[in-house]
Amino acid sequence: MNSLDPRVNRLPQITEAVLPKAALDQFGTYEVFVQPKEGKPFQHEGIVHAPNLELAWVLAKETFTRRFTCASLYVVDTRDVYVSPLTEGDKNVYDVLPQVAEQSGSKKNFEIYHLVKRGKQHVHVGTVQAVLPQEAMHLAGKQFNHSKVVFNVWAIATDTIRFTTDEEKELWLTLPEKKFRDASDYKGGDKLKEFLEKSNFN
Amino acid sequence: MYGGGNTFEGIKTDNLAQEDPIKLAAFEARIARGEKIEPTDWMPQLYRKQLIRMIEQHAHSEIIGALPEGTWITRAPGFKRKMSLMAKVQDEVGHAQLLYSAAETLGKSREQMIDDLINGKSKYSNIFNYPTFTWADCCFISWLVDAGAIVNQLANAKGSYGPYCRALDRICAEESFHLKYGHHCVIYLASGTAKQRQMFQEALNRWWPPMMHFFGPSDKISAHTEVLMRWKVKMGTNDEMRNQFLDMYVPKIWELGFTIPDPNLKKNESGKWEYTEPDWEEFKRVINGDGPCNKERLEVRRIAEARGKWVREALKTPKMSYVTPLA
Repeated sequence: MNSLDPRVNRLPQITEAVLPKAALDQFGTYEVFVQPKEGKPFQHEGIVHAPNLELAWVLAKETFTRRFTCASLYVVDTRDVYVSPLTEGDKNVYDVLPQVAEQSGSKKNFEIYHLVKRGKQHVHVGTVQAVLPQEAMHLAGKQFNHSKVVFNVWAIATDTIRFTTDEEKELWLTLPEKKFRDASDYKGGDKLKEFLEKSNFN
Repeated sequence: MYGGGNTFEGIKTDNLAQEDPIKLAAFEARIARGEKIEPTDWMPQLYRKQLIRMIEQHAHSEIIGALPEGTWITRAPGFKRKMSLMAKVQDEVGHAQLLYSAAETLGKSREQMIDDLINGKSKYSNIFNYPTFTWADCCFISWLVDAGAIVNQLANAKGSYGPYCRALDRICAEESFHLKYGHHCVIYLASGTAKQRQMFQEALNRWWPPMMHFFGPSDKISAHTEVLMRWKVKMGTNDEMRNQFLDMYVPKIWELGFTIPDPNLKKNESGKWEYTEPDWEEFKRVINGDGPCNKERLEVRRIAEARGKWVREALKTPKMSYVTPLA
């Protein structure tokens, strides 16, 4: 190659053809949940592709929490999110979910997420104890289905989540004097004003 | 960053007749009410196809767009500029991640999208097929190409597909950093030495024609997109977007005392900008692979894919399986 960039010119020549990607070349997906501030609920932000939970957490931090404030985040394999049907209009999804009797067996915690406005993110509403995710949703209907119409519910077994440790939370602590945390920190106004006063372009 | 004008050429609406009319009417009514479409909702095949095409092109543009700016990281003038440019380039690559994810919710795998980029089947924004000769070219991109991108993206963020709109909300917030950073860079060049002013003027001369191409072919010659506007896939015509960009940024360029290389550029009495018609033959030539940097851009991606393959293979585990992302 004859690039303006010397690093590009130094790249090795790849003579063999790049074959079509095999399935899972980009790995599976993990859902990312972010807590923007202490005291605020976690909300769904999107996904990352990663080979495992640990790398999913690292990639989530890089993708979703570099520019804006963040108190904590967690990730979970997309396959571990139990999803209800999506309703519309004024139909509450809890009205269409099947009744599930209390199950016998070892209970575990499930994190419950609600979608209360189509087009917005799913937001954490609380934790229930159940044996099955269907049962968790049924219990969530009793505990968290209060006023607003809920269009969609997610139930995630807490033990499948990769949480942020207390020590890791320090990653998001920034010094008060740290600059450029906001777009408006790029202050060119004074220099522009001074320049315009000296120039006669206008 | 993103150029949104070249995505909708030659759509065929004939197959709409094969869609279930009741479902189609409900789908259109939902959009007309201002509600978002979510991945599990019914949608016409044409809507799905055009959205995949648009979001995928947008994602490719972010990945490829990182290359002409990334080339200047090692030569950025000073530590602060280097840090800011590194953060910006990382943002752009992150935007591609968000966008590929949104396209995946419509059923196209990330593997297929990357294959289609590398083998030239999918397009990306034409403007990134031009070289960045000097630091001033890099500043032009950071300020004005990102400004054009924001015009497109703010409009598209009001579109109908939920996952794309949510990705765009985040992207626009990050792009606001880029815009301010780019303007900051250009103010410093404008108020610097005669040589610095000359550098930016020359960059402006080089980049103005691709910038005018950025919003896509003129409405007079571009494909009919009425159905895509009704479905809020496309939120404005190419000329409307171009006019909005000119309205917002020509005065700022003039304010700095630079000359835009178009003697016919002026705002008419009805508030519309008049300009020399861009060279659409060049636009077509570049989009079809014959621009100054097309080969280099794709070759860099191809080499990156080939060199990273062993890492991806080493990280694969037998437990993996793929399910479509949720939202």
